[in-house]
Amino acid sequence: MPLDFRRFNGPEDSVSYKIYTKDYLKTYDEQLKDLYDENGKRKDGRELNEARSMCMFCMFARTDMVSQAKGSAYVELRKTKVVCSVFDPREIPHQNEFRQLGQLYCEVKFAPFSCPRKRRPYVPDVEEKALSVALRQALEPAVCRHFFPNYQIDVLIYILEHDGSCLAAAINAAGLALANAAVPMFDIITSCSVAVIGNKMFIDPTEIEEHIAKNSTEVNHGIITMSVLSQLKQISDFTQIGSMDVECVTKVMEVLLKECEIIVPNIQRILVVDVVKNFELKKHLEAETKKREEILKKKMDEWRSLLNGQ
Amino acid sequence: MAGLLLSSTEKVFIVHGVQEDFRSDGRSNIDYRPMELETDVVSHASGSARLRLANTDILVGIKTEIDTPKPDKPDMGKIEFFVDCSANATPEFEGRGGENLASSISNTMQRAYHSSQAFDLKQLCIVEGKQCWKLYVDILILECGGNLFDAVSLATKAALFNTRIPLVKALLMDGGNVDLQLSDDPYDFKFLDVGSAPLLVTLCKIGEKCVVDPSAEEESCSVISLIVGITGNSKSYCADKGASNLSDVDIKCSTISMNGPGSLAPKTLKNAIHQGIIAAKVLDDSLGQALLRERRENINSMKSSYGFLK
Repeated sequence: MPLDFRRFNGPEDSVSYKIYTKDYLKTYDEQLKDLYDENGKRKDGRELNEARSMCMFCMFARTDMVSQAKGSAYVELRKTKVVCSVFDPREIPHQNEFRQLGQLYCEVKFAPFSCPRKRRPYVPDVEEKALSVALRQALEPAVCRHFFPNYQIDVLIYILEHDGSCLAAAINAAGLALANAAVPMFDIITSCSVAVIGNKMFIDPTEIEEHIAKNSTEVNHGIITMSVLSQLKQISDFTQIGSMDVECVTKVMEVLLKECEIIVPNIQRILVVDVVKNFELKKHLEAETKKREEILKKKMDEWRSLLNGQ
Repeated sequence: MAGLLLSSTEKVFIVHGVQEDFRSDGRSNIDYRPMELETDVVSHASGSARLRLANTDILVGIKTEIDTPKPDKPDMGKIEFFVDCSANATPEFEGRGGENLASSISNTMQRAYHSSQAFDLKQLCIVEGKQCWKLYVDILILECGGNLFDAVSLATKAALFNTRIPLVKALLMDGGNVDLQLSDDPYDFKFLDVGSAPLLVTLCKIGEKCVVDPSAEEESCSVISLIVGITGNSKSYCADKGASNLSDVDIKCSTISMNGPGSLAPKTLKNAIHQGIIAAKVLDDSLGQALLRERRENINSMKSSYGFLK
């Protein structure tokens, strides 16, 4: 693991204290039973097919989070918290050839305190680099890249707390931030993920559900994340890890298409609120400007009359 | 993919050909180009394979080392993939140019081999919680002729089939420490069970249809390709006569990802996955037959090795 020698790092052979707790010794079956109770409700009270974006107080999203960025967004899916900033187009560093289409530079970073199992180092590790590539893969078809040839737009994601569905939250946040930054786009982009353990489908999984799905030994297990351009009905990114047969993959794809469509009205509402707010601000500023111009004109007339009167 | 310049007329020619299921080199949309495979080409590696798929040349070397297992997976070994795009393949890979492609290939391979149903890491365990085998799979891309993912996964599976793990002769438990004594006899080893190891199939969307095994020219005509990792059928890799009595294991998707700046309609995605599964089945069978034939020739000392001479 490459260390950043400009900062203090913990001793290299230190491990998380959690491996010495009772929870750690639970067998796979006990962990699985923990995930949902007899009524089919999950640990956090949701149904198996309930996404965090739908229940009240579960999904919160706003734009204009970072004042220094051209556009920004903050998405909170209960405990998962993601900030995204988008900056103005700038020249592509270290580049010689001319490119007809603009580039998207995506970077996903976990805060060191964000993950429940271990501390994240400051240097981007393999998982963060893979998430950055997946984010770029999802956003590229949505952005009108022919409007900024030979330039690159920076999309920077910072994950403050990781409780599952990080990539989905990041893609939703990036879509909002790009719209907030007035980057021309073809469509609204939404994303959702599903964890499959055996014959159960957990929509919008939490971190524990994701961990069990990835390491399960059942016949069908794994995680699928999908992002969709809603009006154009195009899938911009589809990633699957685990082991599933084709019927399972097809079933999950249908479910995800529906889930991604459900999120769209929320996104639209937030964007409309953002645009209305900006218009009102503009009107307010114009009214203020007019008032000041009136006062200035009066003063100018006064002085003019004084000068002429002299 | 690597600095190819095609005129728009050439691209139209390729697209029209694909619509008629007749590609520029006479293949149909689901045909692979002829391949040459040879294992055991590197004497210092525990296993190696070299694959030539038309103009694509891949060399895989596998090194085995003894390591301590992860605390949360005490009975499982480890496997790690490293891809090196050598500057031989194209001048674009000089220095750090090939890094993005290399990390994308190694991430996809790591995801494909993650599930225990794809590659059982329990066979790499020596002493539970204390010692396990770690496989370093080093993939060297010597020449780029399109369809890197497929070639890499084929060569990796062949190299893993060829890998020899030394047998443990004696074990000394001294308090908490374990002292291993491995056999000195070069013929005293065990082979790995890699029948279910996944093969990646790249489906390139050109126009309305998807083609399997795109050449470099065809890749530059496409904006989106789908990479499906399909687990293998252990039956094809079993030399016993009684293998035909083994039940056919259902093939599973162990990883799905998209590559490219475009997007896919849901129906195209579904059809492409089915097409990929058909291609993977045939590929897996032929690879199994070729590897078993090579192993038989090796045992009877009839194998003539060419290495890099042919």
